[in-house]
Amino acid sequence: MKELTKKPLLVRIRPWLILLPTLVVTLGILYPFATAIYYSFTDYSLKSTAYEFVGIKNWVEMFTGKEFWHSLGVTLKYAVLATALEMILGMVIALTLNTEKRWAGILKVILIFPLMVAPVIAVLLWSLMTNTSIGILEKFLNLFGVYAFPWWAASSTALFSVVMIDVWVNTPFVLLLVLAGLQGLPKSPYEAARIDGGSAWFTFKTLTLPLLKPVLLIALIFRIVSTVQEFSIIYATTKGGPGDTLMNLSLSAYMDGYTYSSIGRAIPQILVLWILINVITKKLVGAWLKAKSAN
Amino acid sequence: MAKVTVENLTKKYGKTTAVRNISFDLEDNEFFVLFGPAGAGKTTILNMIAGIGDPDEGRICFDGQSMNFIESSKRNVAMVFENYALYPHLTIYENIASSMRTKAHREPEEVIDREVKRIASLLRLEGLLDRKPSQVSNGQKQRAALGRAMVRKPNIFLMDEPLAHLDAKLRNAMRKELKAMQDKLQTTTLYVTHDYAEAMSLGDRIAVIHQGEICQIGTAEEVYNMPATEFVARMFGDSEINILQGVLRREDSTLKLVLPLSNRSYELPRHTAEVLEASGRKQVDVGLRSSAVRYSWRPEEGYVKGTVYTMEPLGNKVELTVKTEGGAVRLMVPVTETPDVDETIYLAFDVSGGIYFDSDSKEYIVCQKETAGKEGKR
Amino acid sequence: MEQKKRGEKALMLAGKVLLVFYTLFAVFPLIWMIIIAFKGDSQMYDTLFIFHPTLANFKNVLTKGSYVKAFVSNLIISGGAVLVSVLVGVPAAYALARYEFKHKEGVAFTILSFKFAPEILIIIPVFTIFQKLKLYDTYFGMIWIYQFIGLPLLIWVLRGYFEDIPVEMERAAELDGYSKREIFFKMLIPLIRPGLVAAALLSFIFCWNNFTFGLMLCGFKIQTITVSALTYISTSTIHYGQMAVVSVIAIIPEIIMCLCIQKHLVRGLSFGAVKG
Repeated sequence: MKELTKKPLLVRIRPWLILLPTLVVTLGILYPFATAIYYSFTDYSLKSTAYEFVGIKNWVEMFTGKEFWHSLGVTLKYAVLATALEMILGMVIALTLNTEKRWAGILKVILIFPLMVAPVIAVLLWSLMTNTSIGILEKFLNLFGVYAFPWWAASSTALFSVVMIDVWVNTPFVLLLVLAGLQGLPKSPYEAARIDGGSAWFTFKTLTLPLLKPVLLIALIFRIVSTVQEFSIIYATTKGGPGDTLMNLSLSAYMDGYTYSSIGRAIPQILVLWILINVITKKLVGAWLKAKSAN
Repeated sequence: MAKVTVENLTKKYGKTTAVRNISFDLEDNEFFVLFGPAGAGKTTILNMIAGIGDPDEGRICFDGQSMNFIESSKRNVAMVFENYALYPHLTIYENIASSMRTKAHREPEEVIDREVKRIASLLRLEGLLDRKPSQVSNGQKQRAALGRAMVRKPNIFLMDEPLAHLDAKLRNAMRKELKAMQDKLQTTTLYVTHDYAEAMSLGDRIAVIHQGEICQIGTAEEVYNMPATEFVARMFGDSEINILQGVLRREDSTLKLVLPLSNRSYELPRHTAEVLEASGRKQVDVGLRSSAVRYSWRPEEGYVKGTVYTMEPLGNKVELTVKTEGGAVRLMVPVTETPDVDETIYLAFDVSGGIYFDSDSKEYIVCQKETAGKEGKR
Repeated sequence: MEQKKRGEKALMLAGKVLLVFYTLFAVFPLIWMIIIAFKGDSQMYDTLFIFHPTLANFKNVLTKGSYVKAFVSNLIISGGAVLVSVLVGVPAAYALARYEFKHKEGVAFTILSFKFAPEILIIIPVFTIFQKLKLYDTYFGMIWIYQFIGLPLLIWVLRGYFEDIPVEMERAAELDGYSKREIFFKMLIPLIRPGLVAAALLSFIFCWNNFTFGLMLCGFKIQTITVSALTYISTSTIHYGQMAVVSVIAIIPEIIMCLCIQKHLVRGLSFGAVKG
C-alpha cells in the first residue's frame, strides 16, 4: 500500500456529498427567489407571457401610493396586537399551570389542541361560534341585550375578531414553550430566595423573568415572524376587508398578483415584508444569543 | 499484535500546538503508558493512532506500514473510551459482539456466542448480558467497554483513562484485574492515564507527557528514581517531592551541600559528588522524597526546627506540611503520631537519597540510586 | 407581612379565574364543533346542548361534494412531502451536526430562512415556473413545494438530536469495523428515532394545515383540505352541521398525532432552540 499524504478526495468532500440532496432541493427555491427580485423591475403579469423591463417604476409607485403605507400600518398593528396578547396570555397561563397537580397535567395536554388546528379550520370553528343564527357566542351576547354582533363583518370590530382567532390558535405555542422553560429552571436559586424571604412578585421579577428570557425570546421570534406575514386567517375571514381594513402586506400582494394579475406590483411589497422580517429576526436572534450565554 | 511506531507526531488546533514532535515505539506485546496531567495531549496522540484525528506532521506505522489518513475502520485497532461509549440501544451482549457482526470482522453466530461468553466470564459480566448499558453500574459499563475491545484481535489496544470515572475502591480492583489480564493475554496496549499509581503499576514503560511534549520514557523504576526533569519528579509519588535549593561548597577538598534550611553542610556520596563536581555548578535543586526526611519532636544534633502547618491523614500514614525558615517541607509520619497544628517539629535531611537537578534547566543531573541500582541505565 | 401575603393570595386567585376563562376559550370551540357535527339541521336553531344526535351530517360530507377527495389529496401531498424531506433532511442534519466544513453555518441558516421567508414571496415566482414546467396542479409539483414546509424543521431539530449522541460512540463503532453507512443505519437511526418520528409527524401537521400553497398552486384537479374547507365558509351555507363535520375530519388526525409526540413537541416547535 502506498503512503497517503492527504485524505482521499471522497473523504474530504463527504459532508458536501451528504448535503447534496438538500442543496439540490434548496437551489430549487433560491432560483425563484432571485427571479422574484428581477420581476419587481418588470411589468410581468399572469395574463400574458410577454413582459417588459420597467426599471424602478413599480417601486416608485409603491412608495408614493397611499395603499402601501396603509398595508404596512395594518401589518404592524396586527402583528403587535396578536403577538402581545399571545405572549402575555401564554405566559400568565403557563405560570398558573406550573404545578405538579393532576388537573394541571391534564390541562397542559388539552390546552395545546388549538395549536394543531389549521388556521383556516379555526376560522370555520369560530364562524360556527359567532354565527348570528346558531352561534353560542351570539346567544351569550343576547343575554346582555347585544344582538347580531358583527365580528369581522364590520370594520370597527374586524381587527379584534381576527386577532382573537390568531390568539386562539397560537397562544398554546407560547404556553408550551414557557412551560418548558419553567420546568427547566434551576431549583437552588429559588430555595435561596425562599430562605431570604422575598415576596413572590420579587422572586418572579428578579429570578424567573431573567431566567426565562431565552425561551421568551424564542417564542417572540416565532410569533412575530408569523403574525407579520399572516395570510390564512385574514384571507379566510375577510380577504382583507371590510373595505381595506385588514389589507396587510401579504393580502395586498396576493390581491395585486392574483386578482389584478400584476406580479410586478405584488413583489416589491413582499420584498419589503421580507426585509422587515429579516431586520426583526436579526435583532431578536442577537438578543436571544446574548440572553442564552448570560444564563 | 503489531509493532507500533510513532515518528515526529505534531498536531495543531488553530494556533495552539496540542502535540509537538513526539516519537516512540511500542514493542510487540508491550504495555505502554502515556502519563501526564490533564490537557497534556495524551488523548490527542491516542486519537491519531486510532485514526480519529489526522496528524499535521509525522507518521504512525503499524509493522512498518504507514497509517496516515487511513480511516479508523480499516486500521484494526480496539479502543476503550473514557466515557465508555457503549451503544445505548444494544444489550451488553450485543455491545461485546458488535465487532464480530461487521463486514470487516464477521464471525459465525456460534463463534460470537462462545467468544462473548468467554469474555463475559473473564470480566464477570455473565448475569448482565441481557441488560442495556443504562441498566448497569459504572464499573459494569467499564468492564463491558473493556470486553467489547477484548473480543478482538487488533493491531493494538488503545485505552483512554478507562478507570477515571470509577470510585477509588473499584479503580484499585480494576487496576489489579487489568494487570492480571495483561499478563495472561499478552497484548500490545497503549494506555492513557493521569493517575501515577496506574501508570506505575500497569506500564512496562511510561512516557511522561507535558504540554504536548515527551519529558521522559522509561520503566516505572526509572521515572520514579531518576526523573528526567523536576516536573517528572513532582508527578510521581503519594506526597509531592520536596525540591530545595542547595548550594555546593568545597570543604576540606570535598564537595559538600548546603541547604537553605540550616547552615549545616552535608556530606555527599562519592559518585554524586563526582558527577556534581564535573557539572561545574554552584547551585543545584535537590529533590527529596518524604522518605528522605526524618523527624523528631525534640531538638537533636543536625536537625532543623519547624512548625506543623497542615496534616492530611492518608489511611495508615499522615502527610505533614512543615513550615521552616527556609520554606515548606512535606513528609510522612505514621498514623500513630498525632501532632497539633503549630507544634514544633525537628527535621533532618538524608541528602544521599536526594535527586539532583540543574537549578536553571530543571533537568536531572545525578542521584545515589544510579550507582546503587546496578548499571544505572539511562 | 400579612398584607403582602393577602396580595399574593389575591394574585393567585386572579390567575386561577383567568385560567378557567382561558380554558373555556380554548376548549369550547372544539366542543361546540362536535356538538354541531351531530346536530340535525332542524335542531340547529332551537337547541343548545340537548338534542337527538344524528350522523346525517357525516353522511352528507362523506358522500356528497369533494371533501373526501380533498382529504385523500392532502394525505398524498403531505405524506409525500414528509417522505421527501426525511430522505434529504436526515443526512443533511447529520452532516451539519458532525462535520466541520466551510460555510457550514451559512448553509444551516439558509435552510432555516425558508421558515422565515413570507410564503407569498416564494409562491409568486414558483407559480410562474410551475406554469412553464407544467407542474401547476400536479402532485409532483405540490409535493416538491410542500417539502419546504418540513425540511427546515427536520434539519434543525434532528441536528440537535444527532449532536446529543456522544461522538465517541460513533468512533467506537468505526473502530469496531462498521462502515459509515452501517453506523448511520444501525447505530444512529435507532438512537434518533423518537426525535425523527416526532419531527416527521410535526412536519406532517404543518403540511396538512398549509393553506397558501394549496390556494395558489393548485385547485382544479387537486384540492387541499384547507382550500376545500374554505368553500364551506364562503358559500353562505346554512348546513352548519356539515361545516362542523369538515372541521372534525380535519382536526382529529392532528390531535391524535399531537398526543403521540407530546414529549418532543417543544423541541420540534422551537426548531431545537428549546429542549423541553
